[in-house]
Amino acid sequence: MGIAFDHAPERPEHIDAILNGLDRYNPETTTVFQDYVSQQCEHRTYDCYANLALLKLYQFNPHLLRDEPVTNILTKALTVFPSPDFSLCTHLLPSYILSPPSSSNNPSSNPTPGDAPLSEAVQKLTILNNLLSGAKYREFWQTLDKDDLYADLIADVGGFEELMRVRIAVTVGQSCREVERGVLEGWLGLTGAPFEHFVREVCGWGVDDTRGAKGMVVIPINKENEAKGTVVKEDVKFEQFGRVVRRAYEQPA
Amino acid sequence: MALYQRIPYQTADRQKLDENESDQEEDALVNDYKEQAHFDEGLEDGGGSYGGSGGQYQDMQAQLAAAATPLEYQATLETKFASYDNYCNLFHYILNSEGPVDLEPPSPFWAWDVIDEFIYQFESFCRYRHRVARNPNAAQNSTGDDDFALLRDNPNTWGCYSVLNVLYSLIQRSEITSQLAAMKENTDPSLVAGDYGSRPLYRMLGYFSIIGLLRVHCLLGDFSLALKTLDDIELNRKAMFARVMAAHFTTYYYVGFCYMMMRRYADAIKMFSHILVYVSRTKNFQKNNQGQFDSITKKNDQMYALVAICVAFNPTKLDDTIHTALREKYGDTLTRLQRGGPEALPIFEDLFRSACPKFISPTPPDFSSPALNVDPVDHHTAIFMDEVRNTLYNPTVRSYLKLYTTMDLNKLASFLEIGKEELRGWLLVNKQRTRQVRWSEGGLLDGEVVLGGELDYAVQGDLIHVSEAKVGRRLVDWYLRNLARTY
Repeated sequence: MGIAFDHAPERPEHIDAILNGLDRYNPETTTVFQDYVSQQCEHRTYDCYANLALLKLYQFNPHLLRDEPVTNILTKALTVFPSPDFSLCTHLLPSYILSPPSSSNNPSSNPTPGDAPLSEAVQKLTILNNLLSGAKYREFWQTLDKDDLYADLIADVGGFEELMRVRIAVTVGQSCREVERGVLEGWLGLTGAPFEHFVREVCGWGVDDTRGAKGMVVIPINKENEAKGTVVKEDVKFEQFGRVVRRAYEQPA
Repeated sequence: MALYQRIPYQTADRQKLDENESDQEEDALVNDYKEQAHFDEGLEDGGGSYGGSGGQYQDMQAQLAAAATPLEYQATLETKFASYDNYCNLFHYILNSEGPVDLEPPSPFWAWDVIDEFIYQFESFCRYRHRVARNPNAAQNSTGDDDFALLRDNPNTWGCYSVLNVLYSLIQRSEITSQLAAMKENTDPSLVAGDYGSRPLYRMLGYFSIIGLLRVHCLLGDFSLALKTLDDIELNRKAMFARVMAAHFTTYYYVGFCYMMMRRYADAIKMFSHILVYVSRTKNFQKNNQGQFDSITKKNDQMYALVAICVAFNPTKLDDTIHTALREKYGDTLTRLQRGGPEALPIFEDLFRSACPKFISPTPPDFSSPALNVDPVDHHTAIFMDEVRNTLYNPTVRSYLKLYTTMDLNKLASFLEIGKEELRGWLLVNKQRTRQVRWSEGGLLDGEVVLGGELDYAVQGDLIHVSEAKVGRRLVDWYLRNLARTY
């Protein structure tokens, strides 16, 4: 049995009650959800379904919208890539949020979408999301370092960098059995002792220094990186023959 | 065994087998529809015989009929405002009278029609308001009336809260969720139906309000909540919506679309295929009803476009009927979609725009700054296109790896004329996207991660190991079909 999208193991009861009732549309619950977002950031838990409910309240009541919970929700959604959560969250944001900013030499008095701080933040986070979804992990770390705005955006989300590293490691572990150390260093944005610590202690992988230019990281075989050929055989169930058997009874020859 | 009570999928190929089981169910569905079509005809013959005794009764009947009738295309804003007021009055009367009201709906499908039309008017009003706010001048020039001021000064007309309020109230009054739960457990729904829900009018209104919510949430871009709304409805032939063609059709379109937006392409294809096969089998019977037939033809084409998109993301074997029709409609387009690469981008975008629901923004637009009122369709398309762009090279990767059992990373990179680092990225992306959540049991949001395609691989340093899930020969299907033919 898989896990349903709307399920979150650590969701408190009072949040669950709101989500299952009509109070999820009640503007007064906005603060409850906002607190819950902060709590997720602090305790490193994640509840996309509840966060979407908050974004929906903002969608219905634009005057209640606060930038910080929105960016925190999106940043949290990055930590579970390559799931569609980030996209699902952006779908609920105001439609101008992704429009390109106006060029600075345009003296028009009308505000254009991309100028607002929230638009800028969302677009910056979207860049990160696209880098992650495109598996450009090295560029992801470089981009993250380059811009001070990112430091602000991820500041609230406890352990963001570590969560990202774990997530990247998971996707690498699915696809690879051995990776050159240099490549993996780029992907994880780590070098030297912290890199070795992360790879050995957190991931439980091995490092073989004797091979390659800088050594080779060896990932134990798991179900995903095994890539074993299989032959799918037919499952035959007796019920499939039900019609035939019935006919045999109904029309004795 | 109900259509959807199946064992969890392990591979894509099992689907084919399961479909045979559902053949019987489908036959029954088609027969149901044929009966219904005849019933429909009979009804039309006796049309116009509603003349009740009192004038009040006739008034009410006229109101009920009006609520289920589409507004004229050219309807002025005043008509739209008036129509909103009429709906408010009607629903207020139905919901807030002392005790359940005794109404006789003008047609057996009235409950569906009225909810459908109610949401359609909400949708088109929101879209019109948005367009006017974005282009204030255009609105004034075309009609001569000052729609701009009228819309700006009446922000509460067709408000999203009141529309949702109607739908949720109808659901609550009719106790439809408890009734459906009782039906699921095979107990008597009338025990939990209450005063309101035991009447067919309330029950049907409540039921179709659930489908209405699915649609509204989807139009607002909340795809997971849209699917969650259907928790109480089982998608099988015993479902009430299957009795009303338009409802049946609408449900599958929106469920399929929501799955697609949640990147559950296999589930989306399953939904679209189910309804497209059903439509193709009942086509001859729908021609009696020209209006409905036209709208179904349009949605039909849209769903084929969505199937094309889903298949491009998630190559899979389609039902023969669907496959043939898809080739006919989108032969060349489909080939280009499946090839991927930058040339496919505009095709994805065109198809998506032509086939997506008409998204709306729930709140009044900002009338003082037109530039802020970006069309919601543009917004959702942009987000969708990001995903297309991120996975654009999956077909390329697949097409090469299919040919080898092992492959050197450098060699493949030089074939593709890209750098090694970039190729590693492509491989990781494709690998991630072959894993997707797939429904097996429970609510529509449930599911487990399965391997989508037949191709799998792992990278060991510079070496790519490729493996394939081969499909053994399948005889039972062939055997049974021939047996059924001759015996």
